[in-house]
Amino acid sequence: MTVKEKLNKLEELLDIEQDTLREDAELDQLNQWDSIAVISLIAMYDCDFEKTVAPDRVKEFKTVKDIMDEME
Amino acid sequence: MASGVLQNVEIKGIACAVPDNVKNTEEYNHVFGCECVEKFSSMTGVKSRHIALDEQCTSDLCYVAATQLMEKLKWTPESIDALVLITQTPDYAVPASACVLQHRLKLSEDCIAFDVNLGCSAYVYGIWLAGTMISSRNLKRVLLLVGDTSNFGINPNNSATALLFGDGGTATALEYSEGKDMKFFLKTKGSGYKSIIVPAGHARSRSKTNLAALDYELSMNGSEVFTFTITDVPRALKSFMAQFDIKVENVDIFGFHQANLFILKHLSKKLEIPMEKIPVSIDRYGNTSGESIPLTLVDALGAEETCEPIRLLLCGFGIGLSWGAIYLEMDKSVCLPMIYTNYYYNGG
Repeated sequence: MTVKEKLNKLEELLDIEQDTLREDAELDQLNQWDSIAVISLIAMYDCDFEKTVAPDRVKEFKTVKDIMDEME
Repeated sequence: MASGVLQNVEIKGIACAVPDNVKNTEEYNHVFGCECVEKFSSMTGVKSRHIALDEQCTSDLCYVAATQLMEKLKWTPESIDALVLITQTPDYAVPASACVLQHRLKLSEDCIAFDVNLGCSAYVYGIWLAGTMISSRNLKRVLLLVGDTSNFGINPNNSATALLFGDGGTATALEYSEGKDMKFFLKTKGSGYKSIIVPAGHARSRSKTNLAALDYELSMNGSEVFTFTITDVPRALKSFMAQFDIKVENVDIFGFHQANLFILKHLSKKLEIPMEKIPVSIDRYGNTSGESIPLTLVDALGAEETCEPIRLLLCGFGIGLSWGAIYLEMDKSVCLPMIYTNYYYNGG
């Protein structure tokens, strides 16, 4: 999966306008980053990448890149 | 895995009573803001809920459901061998509400009556427990009552719980029936006991002096519960279905605990079950705790008059953490239509 594909997937998941999300964006600065986003992300890892990422691990993420690094 | 087959037992009837009182999710816009409420509603699927009056207890809703079910089945009070009530909102700390209901339903003194404390997994545990009592050939008829008035003890300003739960009480009639069986599995993961908990109000907190009002309210770690639901639950279900060779195409209805719509859709995707086979009631009734499975069956089948067998896989999961499933066949017409009531007991 390319960087652009990952970003587009996250934009869709977090309901963010396409091609506006940046890798270095800080999650704390995103309005869409809330408890529902955390659950959506855990579900995405589970379904699309067949991996279980614990909520505590997701809560450690600081930037969009941290999310993308687990999308393998 | 604790799993097996219960022989010679069948569900003869299911009834559900919910409070008349309805709350729409939009009514909370002024508390949490429109955007927050809309986002919550879209994720959980909850649009409205039936909420008990302050005087209305779980036992009252179960009483109404049981009375109408006994009347429909023509079950006389003295013919019932056991009454099992599963609730987390009993009438009193002690005695067991099942004993009060044995009296109110005018059941015989020879009737076994006791409470069990379980939530989201209550129905599958209850069917197993009642089924075991019958399958062992000692008892002929068991009345299983499962209900909760979960809005008792909820902080009205906590958006995670204030908009989620609905109240209801159900009655399920199980009877000895030659040749009928049920397959089950049950599991527990007590290490997650803090994921959904009311920390204070009982013995564990009696020596603590610095308790806050918050400690008496339901606390839920949504992401922890969610992770459990998407990992442990499908894994156990897959293994159960493989053990008993249950194929998705051989199940007519997957009666899942109505935790939230997002979870139902996720389970559908992960287990490759079409959503058409997973009835949804959370939109109009909210997350109805242990009674969500029978409530959903009543909602889906309550108008059915056709007598034909249907195959169901019922799965409950949540607080405890506790989960399990039952695979059974029953007649399509066993569910009574939904009962709406403001009844409550004045004798307590």
